[in-house]
Amino acid sequence: MEHADQYSWIIPFVPLPIPILIGMGLLLFPTATKNLRRMWAFPNILLLSIVMIFSLDLSIQQINGSSIYQYVWSWTINNDFSFEFGYFIDSLTSIMSILITTVGIFVLIYSDNYMSHDEGYLRFFAYMSLFNTSMLGLVTSCNLIQIYIFWELVGMCSYLLIGFWFTRPAAANACQKAFVTNRIGDFGLLLGILGFYWITGSFEFQDLFEIFNNLIYNNEVHFLFVTLCASLLFAGAVAKSAQFPLHVWLPDAMEGPTPISALIHAATMVAAGIFLVARLLPLFIVIPYIMNLISLIGIITVLLGATLALAQNDIKRGLAYSTMSQLGYMMLALGMGSYRAALFHLITHAYSKALLFLASGSIIHSMEAIVGYSPEKSQNMVFMGGLRKHVPVTQIAFLVGTLSLCGIPPLACFWSKDEILSDSWLYSPIFAIIAWSTAGLTAFYMFRIYLLTFEGHLNVHFQKYSGKKSSSFYSIKLWGKEEQKIINRNFRLFPLLTMNNNEQPYTIGGKKEARITITNFGYKKAFSYPHESDNTMLFPMLILLLFTLFVGAIAIPFNQEGMHLDILSKLLTPSINLLHQNSNDFEDSYQFFKNATFSVSIACFGIFTAFLLYKPFYSSVQNLNLLNSFVKRGPKRILLDKMIYLIYDWSYNRGYIDMFYSISLTKGIRGLAELTHFFDRRVIDGITNGVGITSFFVGESVKYLGGSRISFYLLLYLVYVFIFLVISYFILF
Amino acid sequence: MNYFPWLTIIVFLPISAGSLLFFLPHKGNKLIKWYTICICILELLLTTYAFCYHFRLDDPLIQLAEDYKWINFFDFYWRLGIDGLSIGPILLTGFITTLATLAAWPVTRDSRLFHFLMLAMYSGQIGSFSSRDLLLFFIMWEFELIPVYLLLSMWGGKKRLYSATKFILYTAGGSVFLLIGVLGLGLYGSNEPTLNFETLANQSYPVALEIIFYIGFLIAFAVKSPIIPLHTWLPDTHGEAHYSTCMLLAGILLKMGAYGLVRINMELLPHAHSIFSPWLIIVGTMQIIYAASTSLGQRNLKKRIAYSSVSHMGFIIIGIGSITDTGLNGAILQIISHGFIGAALFFLAGTSYDRMRLVYLDEMGGMAVSIPKIFTMFSILSMASLALPGMSGFVAELIVFFGIITSQKYFLMPKILITFVMAIGMILTPIYSLSMSRQMFYGYKLFNAPSSYFFDSGPRELFVSISIFLPVIGIGIYPDFVLSLSGEKVETILYNYFYR
Repeated sequence: MEHADQYSWIIPFVPLPIPILIGMGLLLFPTATKNLRRMWAFPNILLLSIVMIFSLDLSIQQINGSSIYQYVWSWTINNDFSFEFGYFIDSLTSIMSILITTVGIFVLIYSDNYMSHDEGYLRFFAYMSLFNTSMLGLVTSCNLIQIYIFWELVGMCSYLLIGFWFTRPAAANACQKAFVTNRIGDFGLLLGILGFYWITGSFEFQDLFEIFNNLIYNNEVHFLFVTLCASLLFAGAVAKSAQFPLHVWLPDAMEGPTPISALIHAATMVAAGIFLVARLLPLFIVIPYIMNLISLIGIITVLLGATLALAQNDIKRGLAYSTMSQLGYMMLALGMGSYRAALFHLITHAYSKALLFLASGSIIHSMEAIVGYSPEKSQNMVFMGGLRKHVPVTQIAFLVGTLSLCGIPPLACFWSKDEILSDSWLYSPIFAIIAWSTAGLTAFYMFRIYLLTFEGHLNVHFQKYSGKKSSSFYSIKLWGKEEQKIINRNFRLFPLLTMNNNEQPYTIGGKKEARITITNFGYKKAFSYPHESDNTMLFPMLILLLFTLFVGAIAIPFNQEGMHLDILSKLLTPSINLLHQNSNDFEDSYQFFKNATFSVSIACFGIFTAFLLYKPFYSSVQNLNLLNSFVKRGPKRILLDKMIYLIYDWSYNRGYIDMFYSISLTKGIRGLAELTHFFDRRVIDGITNGVGITSFFVGESVKYLGGSRISFYLLLYLVYVFIFLVISYFILF
Repeated sequence: MNYFPWLTIIVFLPISAGSLLFFLPHKGNKLIKWYTICICILELLLTTYAFCYHFRLDDPLIQLAEDYKWINFFDFYWRLGIDGLSIGPILLTGFITTLATLAAWPVTRDSRLFHFLMLAMYSGQIGSFSSRDLLLFFIMWEFELIPVYLLLSMWGGKKRLYSATKFILYTAGGSVFLLIGVLGLGLYGSNEPTLNFETLANQSYPVALEIIFYIGFLIAFAVKSPIIPLHTWLPDTHGEAHYSTCMLLAGILLKMGAYGLVRINMELLPHAHSIFSPWLIIVGTMQIIYAASTSLGQRNLKKRIAYSSVSHMGFIIIGIGSITDTGLNGAILQIISHGFIGAALFFLAGTSYDRMRLVYLDEMGGMAVSIPKIFTMFSILSMASLALPGMSGFVAELIVFFGIITSQKYFLMPKILITFVMAIGMILTPIYSLSMSRQMFYGYKLFNAPSSYFFDSGPRELFVSISIFLPVIGIGIYPDFVLSLSGEKVETILYNYFYR
């Protein structure tokens, strides 16, 4: 197994043949390629499994004796500059590659079924493996230029996959938004890379760290410039990981197919920002303000994501905001310097969130047949409810994912989140309080999603009970276009959920979906219920469920030979030295239990509140009256209602941040474009045309003057003679 | 060395073979098309052969040189020769012109003349890239304008006469300055006119005179390149011309300006260039931002692409102005890379225009379903245009960035500022190019009109776009293809700046 590290450059290139072949096939022999269809999916999965085995092997090596392998080839050499390509294997790389491949494989298996009816099945698989290639390239890259290259490539894959259903205008807007927002981050990243190159003259991580440390030690660098460069580098991570100022693309990115949301926008690509910061932590750690900035951005994102997730109707958007919030936790952990906790949370969150997304995809898949193929409907939690009976396996998977994310003990996220939370006490009490309370919020919104989706009765049919006869409801048009429905607002608490949705008309669904609708309309009856998805979809969910259950174990210390060694610590041994604080919290088991109890109780409080508010109301109509009468009493309640309304309003409008951006930035850029266009047309082009027109008039007048009329010439002659005479007269006298 | 006159043959072959077009029997357009494409391919093969076997990359001097006395009393020579700087553009010319003739197959009106003009332009362009004599360079430069003018004024959109006139006036206006410069350089000093590049490169002038010469040449090349504010002919011309003409314009003609800037302004007038280079960089940076934001405001598809190529020219100017090895290499790489990308984008825009018959972007939409292949190629190439890594544009822009960063001529603050503004252009580029492809292809279309069925791109169009795409990605993955051509020469040019 000694050779494994020598050949590990192959890791990113293993999945590459598939997109190339599919792309060529689709362009040159479309029919033949399309006929093969599923034939393409299997090699995809196979190749990714090979990579997984490879990276497992690598990480076993890392556990046994962690060492860093690096190898570079020259890419382009010139007299003045040389770029190099290579790979860099350390514990971080091995963790990330295992993560990418495992989630990737299950998502691929899942999407075989999920996308099976789509016309773009092959395109989807090509994009997916292109993404896997570039993501693996990103984690194995050995210098900043390579990071930048793959950074952009994953962004492009994300762009393509968000805009996968390109007939939907929403998807078209979302993918452009995602790309441009990410490009702002890339802008920072590139400038940061250039800045550090200017300071140190190197791109290679290890040289860079070494030279930079020397420079800092000798006080040879301009402090402000370094801080600027570091924050620019961090901006790349902010955009990719959907941190506070640049998070706007992530919720919109949910327009893409759900497997994509699971793989790219929950587990892997959004973690690339965390990866970058973790990779460059030796650099950031010597610049103190940057660490504070990172943790500040992290904590803002934690809180913002959690509050924005509170009132989302779209199940995937809710999960997206939750992803954002959890990424904020990781960023916070990195900013605090607890590298280990951040990576641990990265792993656990990736599996849990992938599980959640796959489960939600399964729900969407089964809801689509009933409510129609527009994402406004199939993903709308307003129409869901009571799915527990109809999709039991999915329900279990979703519940496990939810509990894990809430931080309920035996599940994965508990361990990592607890670690972050207890570390945050050591860092700053204010941050700790925010982080703890957000843990409660997390539990609240996750359970809100769970309860709305799975408890109670199916709201689609509940329409009928609620008095409003929406007769048109069952005749959903092919295009998913439909007259507006106002959902019954008889119930006091229900408006909280619906708010002002339905205000905007449903956008027209994709043409492709429309076609599929025809095929599925066959069994659509007045009272159809959602069906459980196929085994192909359930299998990866179950595997991920197992991961969610047990992945926390890698950080549970098992006492061996008197030392508490868990796998994760073993993996991260060299990096652990970087922490400026000791990670001996686990030593004190009392402390651990205290923290754990506290966090679990907060999570339970959140869950309880969610139960109180979103308890399936019509299953207990009697209680509802009670609740209603209770609600209406007293001015305090009104105040509380107002508060709640305020929060929901804030959350429903996405914190007004999107609106602010669209007003300030989009309008600004549009205005600038108009202005320059006007300037270009009227001023610069105007001068040119003006010169043309003037010369035309001059020519015309000359033509008129030189019209070969003798009398006119004589007149001119006489006039000039006269003028001459007058002048000479004045000069003489 | 063998003295076979390769370059003369290469320069003369297209136009002489093209003039035979008029003697071909009137048997329809097919014969003409095939004849032209065969000539183009033959020429390309000949060029490649000559360069493969008679060009040594490690030699920065002129190779394949030819020297015949043409006009005796004036000391005017027919001097041809290539070096690392010109081999790239010549190969690009051959490649793009061949593909443009292939792209011009739908042209039926006066196709005999059209193809002849294409071939004449081929000759003119190769001639101006390979001439080693200042006056010959000027003659070739002017010679190549005539076919472009005719191509613009006879084939294209409604306002083609306006734009052709604008083009010819602009370029002729620029040529006046070029002629002044050429004569000034040639007649300065000695009794006999010296027009040879080699002797001129070693000559030194009083600073004021050099600056005047420099300004003259700069104006001429700024019109061609184009550099703001002399760019307004370009969007009009590109908006109106037939797309194969656009391919030639965007792919090659714009590059002649940049080539001349390196060849004459940098090589012959080094002192003035080092005085002017900060201004060049400032103008280039402004151009990137200005053209990118103007591009956003365009409704016309082709004009939008045209402004995008103006914006990309900014990188070339910055690379030339940076006076570093890296920067100049980046500029040359950008010349080649944008030659491919710009040509491909115009081609795809033109082919999709052939189907949609819509000019304005906001009228389009939902084309992706009916023409998926064009959609694919267009998205790939707009990605290439926004400098996605793995494509040639990225490498070129990156190297230009490094050129600025490593430049020893400038201080830290201006460098930071320039880099910052250039990078803002990096944000603006995806906004216009992606919104272009979004407006064209994304979304849906209610197919009201019964005749709104479009043919997807056929094998010919697919061949053209893929064969442009391959070098784009090839250079992107392994940029030494181009850098190895120009590296030695660039070093020699820059040698003058540091040791003289």
